[in-house]
Amino acid sequence: MLFDINTAIGHWPFRQVPCESPSQLRALLTAKGIAGAAVAHTHGLFYLNCHDANLELAEAISGHADYFVGVATLNPRYAAWERDLPACREKLGLRALRLAPQYHGYRLGCPESVAIAKAAAESGLPVLLPHRVIDVRGKHWLDTEQTISFEDIAAFCEAAPETKVVVTEGAFGSDDLVGKEGGPLRCPNLYLELSRAHNGLCGLPAEIAVECMVFGSGAPLKCITPALLKLELAEVDEAGRQRIGWENGRKLLGLS
Amino acid sequence: MAVTGPAWGGARRIDAHFHVHDADPAAGFSRSTGKLDRRRAEQSLQHAEKLGIGFLCTSFPLTSESPTPEEVRSANDLIFEAMKLSERYLGFCFLNPGYACESLEEIKRCIVDGGMVGIKLYHQYRICDPALTPVMGRAADLQVPVLMHAGRGMDTETRTQQPRLSDSAHMVRAAAMFPDTILIQAHIGGGGDWEWCLRHLESRPPNLYIDSSGSVVDSGIVDKTVAAVGLDHVLFATDMSMEEGVGKVLDADLTDEQRDRIFAGNLKDILARRRT
Repeated sequence: MLFDINTAIGHWPFRQVPCESPSQLRALLTAKGIAGAAVAHTHGLFYLNCHDANLELAEAISGHADYFVGVATLNPRYAAWERDLPACREKLGLRALRLAPQYHGYRLGCPESVAIAKAAAESGLPVLLPHRVIDVRGKHWLDTEQTISFEDIAAFCEAAPETKVVVTEGAFGSDDLVGKEGGPLRCPNLYLELSRAHNGLCGLPAEIAVECMVFGSGAPLKCITPALLKLELAEVDEAGRQRIGWENGRKLLGLS
Repeated sequence: MAVTGPAWGGARRIDAHFHVHDADPAAGFSRSTGKLDRRRAEQSLQHAEKLGIGFLCTSFPLTSESPTPEEVRSANDLIFEAMKLSERYLGFCFLNPGYACESLEEIKRCIVDGGMVGIKLYHQYRICDPALTPVMGRAADLQVPVLMHAGRGMDTETRTQQPRLSDSAHMVRAAAMFPDTILIQAHIGGGGDWEWCLRHLESRPPNLYIDSSGSVVDSGIVDKTVAAVGLDHVLFATDMSMEEGVGKVLDADLTDEQRDRIFAGNLKDILARRRT
């Protein structure tokens, strides 16, 4: 069983992308053996008032409650996020919060970003943090070329220690993710989606990988099979593969 | 005279673009001690095996502005060591074509005498620079492919750090300048505006191929590459991003026979053309 924590619906403005509707995305994921997914709305990256994308998302996936779990997108420097966040959780049924400082014009770690992360934790929502959305080397002229540094991510995790932070689209190495001499995870509240993991899940020791890695594909912006292969070839036992592929993501979202 | 290529056995997948590492991890690809990181090279073979990759066309390109002939030889010595480690490593000879005479000597040492099967060029010169004429001529004589680092970087870092990076327009121009030379444009998924590259490659001369490697796995990238350049001109490759390399070809809307052409058939045909 596979659960994908990194998918999206909605129109990506800079390239033709297939399967942007919930039905199409569900068919695409199901064909690859993925039994459920967390889904964000791409419009949330681009709307000034990105809460409108949360409303669109909730409506779009309302017929797929058996498959999709919605991920809210909010800008902590925009008006009314304090009202929008509980509304996302309680009225719209969304199960995670995505922050996208590259697209919303603030730096991760600013007071507002820490405040919304702490509020998310109080609402039982993990924070999804895209290291990038696409490879910036191929960006459109109007798109951002900013990524988030691991130092900023680590500082953010430390500033909001009760918040579970899932970095998506991150390509970090074991030096970033574990302490010196193979010690414990530098940030115990940090999780890493695996679609860009190299070297057998970033070269992490198996017991740490099983704790902190979460399966995700980046569909439909990205091909799915590379992520499947990373999970298949990960140097962990079958129980560990089950945790990375299914349990960790669902547990973070409060589904199990 | 055409010679028999490597003994392929039942190899289903041949990686047209791979690299090994220097024993000194601090070297990166900026210099070479001439010594192979054998542990990583062995790990790469094991990883490739799990993904069904039988052979890897392997080079050690130096990324500095103008490597000396001594540095180039050292980089290629490292490839000889990989070839000794395993016959699954097929050598591609790195050159700095700014040193024309030395490059021709290195082609003799590595390809004619040493058994390497191709040439690897990096961003020291654009592919259509006339300085490449001697190297291109010799590659045509030997009918060995020239794999060129290429891309269309849209970000500030790429444009700043690789001012002489070749793109598809340069590749198409070079293929017309050197019509008897087999050219391979590296990594359509190597980072950059790959759609821009494909639009240029729609008008490619027949001696220009593209490899599918790179960490970029944008949906549809292989389908669009096949549509732009034709099935018989797409070569499977990883550039060390192995799961990405295999996965994006598997995700393309192709028949098994078409996938086999990309995974191995097209490259086997190219390497079978090698002359001594």
